[in-house]
Parts: sequence; C-alpha cells; structure tokens
Amino acid sequence: MKRVICRMDRCLGCRACELACAVEHSESRTLVTAVREAVKPRARIRVEAVDGGLHRTLALQCRQCEEPVCAQACISGGIRRDERTGDVLMDPGRCVACWSCIMVCPFGAIMRHEGLHRAVKCDHCPGRDIPACVEACPTGALVFVEFTAVTPHGLTEQRPHSQAERSDRIV
Amino acid sequence: MKILIIGASAAGTAAIESIRRYDQESSIVQLSDERHQLYSRCLLSYYLSDSIPREGLQYRDPGFHSQMRVELHEGTRAVHLDTDRQCVTCDDGSVHEFDKLLIATGSLAKFPAYIPQGMEGVNVLRTLDDVEMIRTNVRRARRAVVLGGGLIGMKAAVALNECGLVTSVVVRSSRVLSQMIDQEASHFVTERLGASSIEVFFKTDITEVESRGNTLEAVRTDSGQRIPCELLVVAKGVQPNTDLIADTDIRKRWGIETNAHMQTSRENIYAAGDVAETFDITTGRHAVSALWTCAVQQGHLAGLNMIGRGKAYDGAVLMNSLSIGGIPLISYGVTNPPEGEGYQVITREQGRAGVYKKIVLKEHRIRGIILLGRIDNAGVLLSLIQRREDVSSFEDRLVSDQFGYGTLVGSVGAPDLARYHNP
Repeated sequence: MKRVICRMDRCLGCRACELACAVEHSESRTLVTAVREAVKPRARIRVEAVDGGLHRTLALQCRQCEEPVCAQACISGGIRRDERTGDVLMDPGRCVACWSCIMVCPFGAIMRHEGLHRAVKCDHCPGRDIPACVEACPTGALVFVEFTAVTPHGLTEQRPHSQAERSDRIV
Repeated sequence: MKILIIGASAAGTAAIESIRRYDQESSIVQLSDERHQLYSRCLLSYYLSDSIPREGLQYRDPGFHSQMRVELHEGTRAVHLDTDRQCVTCDDGSVHEFDKLLIATGSLAKFPAYIPQGMEGVNVLRTLDDVEMIRTNVRRARRAVVLGGGLIGMKAAVALNECGLVTSVVVRSSRVLSQMIDQEASHFVTERLGASSIEVFFKTDITEVESRGNTLEAVRTDSGQRIPCELLVVAKGVQPNTDLIADTDIRKRWGIETNAHMQTSRENIYAAGDVAETFDITTGRHAVSALWTCAVQQGHLAGLNMIGRGKAYDGAVLMNSLSIGGIPLISYGVTNPPEGEGYQVITREQGRAGVYKKIVLKEHRIRGIILLGRIDNAGVLLSLIQRREDVSSFEDRLVSDQFGYGTLVGSVGAPDLARYHNP
C-alpha cells in the first residue's frame, strides 16, 4: 500500500505542495485559471509548524489509516476504506457537512471546504501515478512509497543514522 | 458460536462489521423492532427538511445484512431475556438462543406526562416512523413549537424552519444547548436562530396542550402565553431502553453497567450504545453517552470482545458537532466546569470573525473543548483528551489557529501514528 510520506529534515515549508494540491483538485487543473474559479480550490495537504516556529515544518495529509475513525464517525456512511489500495475514500454525494469526521481525525487531516460546503481530504490524486504534492515538492521531502508498517517512532526528528534506518524514520 | 444482537442501529451495526472482519464462522442473528432498512438516526433532521432524499438515510449498502451473513428479524421486539438458559423470547413468540448476546436497544425519547400521547400533531424525533409522521404533519401545519433546547431540539427547530414553518422553541433552561456548550457559545447560537426568525422562549415550560378533537391547536406555557401551533415536537432528551433486563440480575444504574470490554455483569452478555453506561474520560465517572460516535465505537469494541479479540475501551468522550446558520460548532467533554474544583480555562474570542475557542483543563490535561467558527484540527485536540496527555509544554498554543498535529510532533513525538496504521 502506497502512502505519501514527509521527510521532515527536507521540508522547507515552502507550501508548493498545498498549491499543487489545490490546483489538482480545481475544476480546470491549471494554476492560472484555478485561482479565478467561482468556487475557490482548496488544498488537502497542510504545512504545519513544528515547535511553534517556522524553523521546522511538516507537510501533512490523510494518513489513510488502517482502521479509520473518520469512517466510523461518518453519520452517512460516506467514508470507506478501499481494501485493495488501502486508500480511505470519501463519497462527496453522501457528505451532509456535519463535520463528524473533522471532530475525530487525530491528525487534523480532514478539511472543511467552505465553497463546496462539504468535507474534503487527500485522495492520492486518482488518475495520477504520483500525487501532485509529491511531484511539486522541490526538495524531495514528500515521497510516495510502498508502506507496510510504521515504527512507534514513525514521525520524529531526523537524527544522524544509517540509510536503512532513515527509511523507517519518516512519516 | 451463536451471536445474538438486539438492536439494528449504530452500535449493533458496528458490532457486526467488526465481528465479520475476523470471524466468518459464527452465526449472527439480529433483532430489530423497526421495519426499515438500516438507516442513520443522525440524518433524520436532514430528511425532515428535504436536504437529503429518503434513500440518503441508508448509511450502508442495501445488501449489508446478506453480505455480512446476518439473519435479520425486522419488526421483532425482544421481550424476555433468560440469562441462565441464555435465550431471548420475542413478541412474536420466537425464541433465540445465544452464546454471546449484545444488547444494543438504544434509547427512548422522554415524554412529559402532561403532554397527551397519540394526539395528532404531537411527535418526537427519534425514529424514521417519527419523521414520516412529522413530515405528514408539516404539510398541513403553518406553525411549529419545539419543546427542548438540546441538540435534537435545535436540529428539529432548524429543519422545521427550513420547511417554511413559523417555528418557536420552548426551553426550560436560561439558554440553549446548556449541556453541550457554555454561555458565550449559547448566546451565539441563539443569535443565529434569531437571524433565521426562530423564536426562543427561555425559562419556560409547556403546561397545557390545547386541541380540537384529537388535533393539536396550541400550547400554553407557565409564563401565561398561548402559542398557536399545528405541530409540536417534544425533544426533552432520551433515556436508555433497558426494559429487556428489568427482571434479570444484570446491573444497571441509569443505563446498563459495562466494563472496559463492554461486558455487563453477566459474562456472555454485552451492552453498547445509548443503552450502556461506560466510563467517561473527561469526568472520570460512569455515564450514558447517548451519542452516535460513541455508540459506533462501543459497538465496534463489543463486537471484537465478543469474538475474543479483547480490546479495552479507553472510555467515552462526549462530543457533538453542529452547523448553525453555516457556522460550524464542535464541543467535547466538560464545557461548563464547576467552580472550585481545580479547573482552568483558556479562551480566545474573535467576535468579528465569529470565532470562539475554549479549552478546559485540569491537572494539565484537557477535560473539555468548545470550537466555534474554526474547527480545523478539532480531532487533534480530542486525541489529547483521549490519551490524557500532559499539555503544559504547549498549553499557550492550544487555542491558536496554527495549532495542529505538527505542534504535537514538536512537543510529544508522533502520537497515534503507529496506532492507526497497525491497529
């Protein structure tokens, strides 16, 4: 199962991922026209400050949980996990904008789309081999990789360690 | 193994899903006293106002029960439970034996004695049948009164207003949603209701119901008012539907007592959802949560425990989410902390932006939250309550709009990540 991972030691907080994500999920899928669309496109990824400052940042989107609490909380059955890809998918037609999913997501990875008046989240960019955020990341902080398990310290500060360990210690 | 589940709403359904995830062998029989395909109670007010069609109430595929290989008996009420012989008798005379039983009978709407039951125009909002009745009444009504200022009352009032009815709310308390939010947030909600011309009568109760024949005409209040109306929705809260255990030795207080494995005082009998009393993380006491999200979680855990995949419940956190006039509102746990019990409160208000945030702390742990206007990252805060995390190192940032999972990564590591990836 593939997931987007952020290598925190490489994230500059430039927010190119947010921009690419919003454009990818716009009507026109082109930056120049996306910014002028009636319903303002919204990113499903968010760059967050670690430690309160902007010295260390982290780009975070849906973790595609194995046992998604958002799907459990959804009152209309609009969120389900695709057992084949492991992706957690939202059915936009079912969303009644009750925000129960936002109420329970421990990663804060579900957003309120005010223009569409429904909840949105990362969908791994259907139709693309590599999600738009990963492609747009100028430092290679975001990667789309096959993922089986996370170590208990899966998302921590990068410390000097071997290459093998390194692949384990990223989000 | 023979598994019997009584009740076919949030908890019962969640239990089936978690059982079938790991157990294809056991037989599952489910009893429901309703006659409708699996529907979501939380969506009823949306259907009432025609925001969604009737089919939209179904929150699982129509073939759910056959896919899950569940023998569902609809329109069948369980009337007697024999805990020694491990069997349940129904109102149609059928008897179902079990190795493991889940009681997920939910709750019943409270109905004050002074309001006559069965009068045309007087309804509660609990089941799909109730809503169909309200919808019929809406067609011939011009004015509606809602009794009760809780979440169901608010949702009913907003929906009836959207149906085009002149709507009033009668609330005994001095403010709306008094169990869920604080004074400031209540004030905001009342303003919003006023903006959509819903009138609220505070510190008022209905004393009398006037009718012509058997049809509602008006209600009279203890403040001497007469409010003409063709529709009255009684939303005075719910009580656990514990009838089934009345003549058993299963322990109950307000709801059926359960341990962390959702087990009742009888080893092979479990309870979950609105009928169950569980530990509450924010108060440290046992209580009935009567909330959809909690019911799903409890049903899920009950299912796992019934098939021996023992998992313990951390406990419930009362939580509610509501949109009022397009403004989102989420609350958790203790939002009105009692004086002198060591609670500490952090608030941030941006009146013009319509944003209000409140965090209630005790011993550096979050016990309650109100988020109004800006709800991003709400669940991250919830996870801090659930893990009973010491938040003193980032306390000042909790009400900031920049607070998020990143804040936790910087302060306490990467909580929950592994837990949700490898459950």
